[in-house]
Amino acid sequence: MDMSFKEKSTWISFFSTVAIFGYYFWQIIGLSGLPKEESAEQVLSLLIYVVILTVIVETLFQAMLSATNHKAAALGADERDKLLEYKSSQIGYTVLSIGVLIVLGRLITIEYNPGFADHMSSVQIPMLTAHMLMASFILSEVMRFGSLIVFYRKGM
Amino acid sequence: MAMLPINNSIREKRFFADEMTQQELADLVGVTRQTIMAIEKRKYSPSLEVAFKIAEVFNTHLEDVFQYRPDE
Repeated sequence: MDMSFKEKSTWISFFSTVAIFGYYFWQIIGLSGLPKEESAEQVLSLLIYVVILTVIVETLFQAMLSATNHKAAALGADERDKLLEYKSSQIGYTVLSIGVLIVLGRLITIEYNPGFADHMSSVQIPMLTAHMLMASFILSEVMRFGSLIVFYRKGM
Repeated sequence: MAMLPINNSIREKRFFADEMTQQELADLVGVTRQTIMAIEKRKYSPSLEVAFKIAEVFNTHLEDVFQYRPDE
């Protein structure tokens, strides 16, 4: 497959984000049955673990890619790469904004109707608001990387 | 996907420039080979700076390489 350096780099970010944070959210959903104190501790250690893992995986694979593509790595992003990054960032920003608005709506609803969180929530996960914000951020990143890959594959 | 309105004769210019490859042109202009490919296929319109650089590589005028063809 004919891919530029930036496209390969985007594929690495896409797969590492989907794999690591897919595992993270799978584990978070699994904690919903545990007592609050116990699951809160596990959530924090899981979050630290995935953040460190992301940094290691990204650094390792991006360094390997740069080491095998010296010339392309030195050139960096050209004007077309920057235009495509701008377009995909707009898509990611839209997704993030929708996620933040949903969380805001939930917070305001709870403020005026405190019983909503207990009665309406199907999952009892500690720090649910933080996870919802995190999910919005990760989903926006996945959409950003995904749309960038689509643009590259279309040859735009 | 619809083609962009700026037509070009880069493929022809490369052929007459001793069959210059896309990679060679990309290196001279300072973009990736994929960008040269996208310009040739009219899927990406380059900036004025890159357009002038391409014309300079072929030692010709900008209008000789790029033409505005909105109806094609």
